[in-house]
Amino acid sequence: MHTSDMNTHFDPFVIPFTLGVIYLFAVVVWRYVKWFAELPEADRRAFRHALFTVRSLKAVREVVEEALLHKSILRVNPLLWYMHLSFALGWFLLIVIGKFETSAYLKEAFNPPHVHVFFRYFYPEEPFRFHRGFNYAFLMDAVLLFILSGVALAWFKRLRASWLGMKKTTKHTRGDRMALAALWVVFPARLLAESATCGIHQTGDFLTHSTGMALAGMVGPDALRMMELPAWWIYSLALGMFFVAMPYSRYMHIFTEVPHIFLRHYGIRGGDKPGSADNFQIQACSRCGVCIDPCQLQSAAAMNDVQSVYFLRDRRYGLLTDPVADNCLMCGRCETRCPVHIDLNRLRLNSRTARAEKAVPLTDDRYAYLRGEDRSEGTGKVGYFAGCMTLLSAPVMTAMQRIFDAAGEEVWWADKAGGVCCGRPLKLSGETDAARRLMDYNKALFEKHGITTLVTSCPICLKVFREDYHLEGIEVIHHSQYFLRLLEAGRLKLKASGATLTYHDPCELGRGLGIYDEPRAVLARLGTLAEPKQTKKHALCCGGSVANFVLNSQQENRIATDAAAVYAATGAETLVTACPQCKSTFRRNSALPVSDLAEAVAAALEVPASAHRIPAAAGRTAAPAAS
Amino acid sequence: MVDWGYTINKPRAIAYDANDHTWENALQEAVPVLRSCIGCGNCTATCTAGNFVPFNIRKLQTLVRRGEYAGLRKELDKCMLCGKCRLVCPRGINTRKMIVTLKRLLAQPVAAGIPVAPGAASTAGQR
Repeated sequence: MHTSDMNTHFDPFVIPFTLGVIYLFAVVVWRYVKWFAELPEADRRAFRHALFTVRSLKAVREVVEEALLHKSILRVNPLLWYMHLSFALGWFLLIVIGKFETSAYLKEAFNPPHVHVFFRYFYPEEPFRFHRGFNYAFLMDAVLLFILSGVALAWFKRLRASWLGMKKTTKHTRGDRMALAALWVVFPARLLAESATCGIHQTGDFLTHSTGMALAGMVGPDALRMMELPAWWIYSLALGMFFVAMPYSRYMHIFTEVPHIFLRHYGIRGGDKPGSADNFQIQACSRCGVCIDPCQLQSAAAMNDVQSVYFLRDRRYGLLTDPVADNCLMCGRCETRCPVHIDLNRLRLNSRTARAEKAVPLTDDRYAYLRGEDRSEGTGKVGYFAGCMTLLSAPVMTAMQRIFDAAGEEVWWADKAGGVCCGRPLKLSGETDAARRLMDYNKALFEKHGITTLVTSCPICLKVFREDYHLEGIEVIHHSQYFLRLLEAGRLKLKASGATLTYHDPCELGRGLGIYDEPRAVLARLGTLAEPKQTKKHALCCGGSVANFVLNSQQENRIATDAAAVYAATGAETLVTACPQCKSTFRRNSALPVSDLAEAVAAALEVPASAHRIPAAAGRTAAPAAS
Repeated sequence: MVDWGYTINKPRAIAYDANDHTWENALQEAVPVLRSCIGCGNCTATCTAGNFVPFNIRKLQTLVRRGEYAGLRKELDKCMLCGKCRLVCPRGINTRKMIVTLKRLLAQPVAAGIPVAPGAASTAGQR
């Protein structure tokens, strides 16, 4: 039995907790050391160089803001934020305040962790004998109540996710369920154990004293004495079980988010191929499920097991299958919402790379047929790369021709007579090395013709040009940016039609490259812009993404129809987009006429009265009368 | 002259029943809509790779569906996976999925000599 002057601080019930803690830290330290050792030398060097810089301070700030305060979730969903906050901050405070309480009371700086975890058992009389102007017992009660309110919310969330503003919540693995069951028991068990002890000794603060006295009144002092030790055993067992299950559950994120934040601030993010840095990202996922609701595969195509949270789960446990890895639009809607800032698209992509490397060995003669090919036309410092999808959309090609003519631009046409794919669609399938061959071909072609600016109508091409081509001395811009420059320089004159237009942000252009303003600035000169409900970084995907290798046409169409309805709801007359792939997908599924930005601009060109004119709202342009 | 892929094949005998149809079945299972191919040739006509080198994806999938796999790897390697064929397919066939599936089937252990589909290693469509 414990007494007030007992100083060994030991009872057999602390064993499950202590073993759990030792096991947990052994596993966590082993994993982190292993992952860190497996980082490429360049990353480890970057880590050493960045360690004593201001970046570490910024990382510390983010650890406090995100790992403890969960600020990102607050922006998404306040109630969900409170639930996560109560666990993260609450538990943290319980440990820290508990530690201070113990050390202040025992007047010793160091003692084993079980002493402060089970402090009330060893020192039930503390609140009345120990004040020193600081009521620790009150604080500990307040924090416990804070956590219990979060536990209650978590229970409700399991019953009905919609009460916490989530349409769908995460499905669990076995490790998750073990850890979750333990976690649900931990804090109620702590309340019960502390209440029993406080009831027997008539101590405790507002919470534990009240519940303790209520318990004593209900079961009587003898029964309370009998249930005290079992209650502490339950608390210790629940903690021990949680700690053992933790490395095999979603709760591994509690620790992993910290190194993940530091690595991110140091610019160590992993690459196109799987690497050790990915481990930190994958295990930093808390499976909060914030990525599920924005996923259109879920909302429009009723696919419920492919979202980022499930992808990361499967990859974490080595259970990743092709249908999950391949079934993603890589639209990035989940990535912009991820409170932990995990590179969801990059991880999805490099898991495809890992598989493709095994499945499709790169042969020396792959694309050898391209050697010496050059089908480009014209000369000029400005190059235009239509891209495969634009080549399928003759009106866009015609519109570009008219705009170049109107601006008096000398243009080198890279692929008018059929060019080589930019390589991004192949890269998205995982064949990174084969895609590099296509990139090398195009890069050599661009350099050979001495262009200084490369304009493209296709955001898919634009992204790969900017991120993978490393074109020196050639500025790569989207046609929307090019149009705006021409307009600002007075080289293009447009006649506003006054029509109401709505704009669809292509995923690769908006979330992919952060180009939101230029297309809007151009459209503002054509008519009135009506913004849809979901716009800019929250814009919907058209569903036709080349990143998806699973969807059939019906499923694609469902996503597109869903998205098109959001644009139709603006009351606009025309849906304008800036991507040939989006245009093609919407054309099949939109109630509104769909046109590319180039077509809208070409149709509004101030041209001689004799020339053929088509209003912007018609969505198509005819060939210029002169050509 | 533009090669649209509509040449007349030389007469030949196909031992259809003697061919191994494991891959064909796996392919059909992965891309069931492939059955609705009408052989219109739009995919071949728009093909980015086909603009540079003789490459006929319509013919290729027909051969696979007959259980004729010879030279498949080399042919598939010509594809750039750009996705134009998918946009022009009047039957809405996910051609990119078809090609990726074929590549994965090829990656499975192949018996020495001519590439023959291994029954045991196939993921789907086994009889």
